[in-house]
Amino acid sequence: MLQLAVRKQLPGFMLDVAWEAGDEVVALFGASGAGKTLTLQCLAGLARPDRGRIVVNDTVFFDDATGTNLPSRRRRLGYVFQGYALFPHLSVADNVGYGLHDRSREERRRRTAEMLERLGLTALADRRPRELSGGQQQRVALGRALAVDPDLLLLDEPLSALDVPLRRQLRTELMSALREWGKATVLVTHDLAEAFQLADRIVIYDDGGIVQAAPKSELLSRPASEQVARLLGVRNILRGTVLKATPEIIELSWRGYVLEAINSPTRTYLPLPGTEVAFFIRPEYVRLIRKDRPVDPGHHMNRMEGAVVLEVDQGTNWTLLVRLDRAGAPAQGDHDLEIEVPKLVYEMLEIARDRRWAISMHRGSIQVLPAA
Amino acid sequence: MDAFPILLSFQVSLVATVLTLALGLPLAWVLARRRFPGHDVVEAAVVLPLVLPPTVLGYYLLVVIGARGPVGRLLGGLGIELAFTWRAAVLAACIGSIALLVKAAQAGFEAVDRRLEQAARTLGRSEWNIFWSVTLPLSWRAVFAGTVLAFCRALGDFGITLMVAGSIPGLTQTMPLAIYDYVQANQMREANLLSLVAVMTALLFLLGLGRLARLRF
Repeated sequence: MLQLAVRKQLPGFMLDVAWEAGDEVVALFGASGAGKTLTLQCLAGLARPDRGRIVVNDTVFFDDATGTNLPSRRRRLGYVFQGYALFPHLSVADNVGYGLHDRSREERRRRTAEMLERLGLTALADRRPRELSGGQQQRVALGRALAVDPDLLLLDEPLSALDVPLRRQLRTELMSALREWGKATVLVTHDLAEAFQLADRIVIYDDGGIVQAAPKSELLSRPASEQVARLLGVRNILRGTVLKATPEIIELSWRGYVLEAINSPTRTYLPLPGTEVAFFIRPEYVRLIRKDRPVDPGHHMNRMEGAVVLEVDQGTNWTLLVRLDRAGAPAQGDHDLEIEVPKLVYEMLEIARDRRWAISMHRGSIQVLPAA
Repeated sequence: MDAFPILLSFQVSLVATVLTLALGLPLAWVLARRRFPGHDVVEAAVVLPLVLPPTVLGYYLLVVIGARGPVGRLLGGLGIELAFTWRAAVLAACIGSIALLVKAAQAGFEAVDRRLEQAARTLGRSEWNIFWSVTLPLSWRAVFAGTVLAFCRALGDFGITLMVAGSIPGLTQTMPLAIYDYVQANQMREANLLSLVAVMTALLFLLGLGRLARLRF
């Protein structure tokens, strides 16, 4: 159990965040400079908040009201630093055993050997960090942090120093290590895929504050605001005007069309008619209507016509940029919608040759974003 | 020729270097790792002995440790005499050389990645323990270089020593002072020999320093 509320003023930057987590993996996600690492340092006792309270498993780490500020060495945590910060003058074994200085020599040796074994580092025990590959260094850093059997694990961009193919492999490795460990973990990352694969809960940071904290399953389907959607890299974020809003549906005017969207069943949102709102539709949910089949009004909602102005080969998918026929400026620069179709569909429908398409968007696919 | 000045010089310099390390390392660490009001003042004060005339330093030191000075009176009450003993020569050598150690060690400590010390902190070690297990092992070359420079500077001190310890043959007359006396007495052969000893010693230490610093541990 982790409760954190922290305020810290730095020159030209203000960190003001509060979030909670259980015995799970929490990812702090956001751009560099958003305050993620500073939060981690406050948790570790390496930076002192101006105000706030940090409690981990009933131990008060920091509380400005009572003047409590537990020193780092007594917080019982494992910290994997960005770039790993391994001790260059010590062997792999001595790095991993560094935190065990207060145990007996025998205990220290046993525990170090066990940790090396678990991470597949036994053969490298006598090497120095500079003789290791990036992936091996990452494992040593993790081993050093976990060897002390901490109550809380902090990971600062644990994979960002690695090349992409290795990163993917180690992400899977790290995931199983975290599962096995099973205690509270805070992971700092600016890589959304990493956050989604490793974390149970995601806290989105932006410029020193939090814009949303939610279980990851909730996040992509229901971003709390347009800002969150943009930070999550959601595509086709559009702006329309509300015509009508009921607990069941929201009707929007966009690019001269009337769009019907299902109102969120869990968080009914009733903007007044005339309000400008942001909404999005994921590119893979925009449908092309096949010309060889009859139109089915129950199936093909929110119909429009347009032309493909640009297509990009993504390997297994094609991304099509479509400009609608209606007069007026396109919604996203030179195009209105981004559509993603599997390569097979692209070939079957002969999109390379046939540029004009009718498209539809199911009303359940259009997500209206509450105003920030 | 009397070997006494050579032996005394080594004794004084050795003790002075130990004292310099004991005072200089904590000072260098504080300057490298802590920010406090007056940081720049302390930094300037440390370097001051390098640029002030030795007579000025000697004069102030004498004011403090002389029989009527505050420290002199305190120690006098305990039956310990400082001024014009070899102990005063130690203090003189220490003041003359401490800046060399502090500046070298400070630069060495500052070059140690602070995240290594932070990592050690999160792994349960105390600041004292971190200094010996992380900071010093990663900066020993700089500290060692500073120590050798300080030792060589201590061997060569003339002005401060003359002011506070005098040049009493057989008691406080170190090598540089003996050379001066020999020259005054026109005993050029002895002056020559002692000068050669001084040059060879310094050269030997500096060479050894260079070789050791290239070793990898």
